Amino acid sequence: MNIGTATSEENPTHVYFGTRGFWITYTIIVLFCHFLLLSMPFFSTALAWTVTCVFHSAFTYIMLHNTKGTPFGTPEQGKARSQTTWEQIDCGQQFTPTRKFLTIVPIVLFFLASFYTKYDTVHFIFNLGALGFGVIPKLPQLHGVRIFGINKW
Amino acid sequence: MATNNSFLPKSSDMYELIESFLQAPTYHLIFEALLIIWIFKLIFFSTEYRPESVLTEKEKAELIEEWQPDPLVPDVDENHPLLQAMEKNIISGKPDKYVMINNKSSLNMATLNFLGMAGNAEVEAAAIKTLKKYGVGSCGPRGFYGTMDVHLELEEKFAKFMYCEEAALYSYGFATIASAIPAYSKRGDVIFVDEGVCFSIQKGLVASRSRIKWFKHNDMEDLERLLLIQQDEDKKNPKKAKVTRRFVVVEGLYFNHGDICPLPKIVELKWKYKLRLFMEESFSLGVLGANGRGVTEHYNISVDEVDLIAASLENSIGSTGGFCCGRKYVIDHQRLSGLGYCFSASLPPMLATAAIEALNIMQNDSSILQRLRENCRKMYDGLSMISGVEVMGDPLAPIKHVRLAEISDNRELDMQTLQRIADHAMENGIAIVLARYLEKEEHKLPPPSIRISICFMIGIKVKQSERPRTTNIVYRHLYDITIDRNDKSERVNWNKCLFP
Repeated sequence: MNIGTATSEENPTHVYFGTRGFWITYTIIVLFCHFLLLSMPFFSTALAWTVTCVFHSAFTYIMLHNTKGTPFGTPEQGKARSQTTWEQIDCGQQFTPTRKFLTIVPIVLFFLASFYTKYDTVHFIFNLGALGFGVIPKLPQLHGVRIFGINKW
Repeated sequence: MATNNSFLPKSSDMYELIESFLQAPTYHLIFEALLIIWIFKLIFFSTEYRPESVLTEKEKAELIEEWQPDPLVPDVDENHPLLQAMEKNIISGKPDKYVMINNKSSLNMATLNFLGMAGNAEVEAAAIKTLKKYGVGSCGPRGFYGTMDVHLELEEKFAKFMYCEEAALYSYGFATIASAIPAYSKRGDVIFVDEGVCFSIQKGLVASRSRIKWFKHNDMEDLERLLLIQQDEDKKNPKKAKVTRRFVVVEGLYFNHGDICPLPKIVELKWKYKLRLFMEESFSLGVLGANGRGVTEHYNISVDEVDLIAASLENSIGSTGGFCCGRKYVIDHQRLSGLGYCFSASLPPMLATAAIEALNIMQNDSSILQRLRENCRKMYDGLSMISGVEVMGDPLAPIKHVRLAEISDNRELDMQTLQRIADHAMENGIAIVLARYLEKEEHKLPPPSIRISICFMIGIKVKQSERPRTTNIVYRHLYDITIDRNDKSERVNWNKCLFP
């Protein structure tokens, strides 16, 4: 991506989640990680799915909702410094295809994990927690909201 | 059974899983059903919107209603002083100690070429030599094939001269500080600035998008007052304070006022309140200090106390461009973040060589600096003798702003009065100019003044009579103008001044 040229994006974080091949790459990475866990001899199928689900939520939470600013050297003098990555996607536009995709992935993972854990209560609690961390911060009602001032500055 | 087998995989695992799905707790199935409904709603019934859009249609209509188009190029009054000056003052030949204005040779007291480097034969010879080797332009920005050995040599020389670790060379003096400030200070940061700073600093402040706090010109108490307010704010919200950078930006020698910044006090405040200090030395480089190192040498303060020194090479050094110097890790940041550094073609090599040569001359012969200082002092004394006007600034400054002692409410009128003095001086063979500003864009417009610049060459090589002549002309004309404003008794005092 060209930064700082006349035709470049002001902030590439706005767009790169929606660029060509990103969704499929994302899906492949999630599946690859899952198979990696599954190949561990001491992980049962159920545990592998729950771990995938929890790891996915934890990782995306840190990347999308905890990390602020942009890694690119942008010419906008730190406009994105106060925004999380999720808030920057599509310039803050809500319900765009990219946002819908990123919201649906943790839900689908929850379905799969529930199925493969045979609806076990302990696994359900962990998966529900992961689902909450994966979906609730993505709600448009929480756009720009910092609960208890966490991660505000 | 055969049909069942084709639907179900052979693995008993999958069979068990489906079994367990059929026996899943009801609450779980209800929850999954709700999630599926939500997914459907999300995919098919959620339309895009932007949460930040605060303007309603009505407000938009009002804004459009209010808007008045401005002409792209506004009409310029035919009597605009700049247009008149352009028509009146046609300069021919090479401006030097003397300048040919309308085919009449005048003593040049408007130049910022304090050390006579522009037009110096040695400097010219060096530049021509480089021209023959490299051609005119450098063909690219520093990061893209635009770096020549002479640029590196110049940077190294300046770093050494200023006792700094590193220097970064810019190709335009105005852009130096205007790029350096926004390279470090971003949105949400705080910059404390003197009200009297020059226009390039003001543009740098705008480009930084930071919060600007202006303190009164050279008023350290006012600065400390603002710093205490900031300190209180920081105590209330330490998390915010942790990510807020605090800068103080001053000019070494103020171009608009001709005085020197009180650096020792600023450095003291800098350490006390944990600020980053940027100093613009365009007019103090090659002027102040025994070797021309600027304000730090003038006050005998280590350069390390100042985080960044920026200076233009277009005044004393008589070339083009500018440089920033300081510690290596501070300056290196600009090589990717200084917009003027990254995105404009580098300094033409011949001008870089000219700057190197000028620096050599300055270092080898410190007597020119002495002569400049003497001239500045003499001129200050001469101008101070005149009643009716006030000389602003420091005796050592090569820029003297002469303003009327009694400033009227009408700026236009004062400008006209001063213009008449300048015109009169021009008739008598001394070229002086009024300080001009982009009046609508200046943060705080300085009072109208005549700007007299002093070059080291006048008064010493030239016959002694020239210096008093300048002051006398200023004085005599003032006498002519103010005679109809004042009563007789004051005139007598002026006569004393004229023939002390």
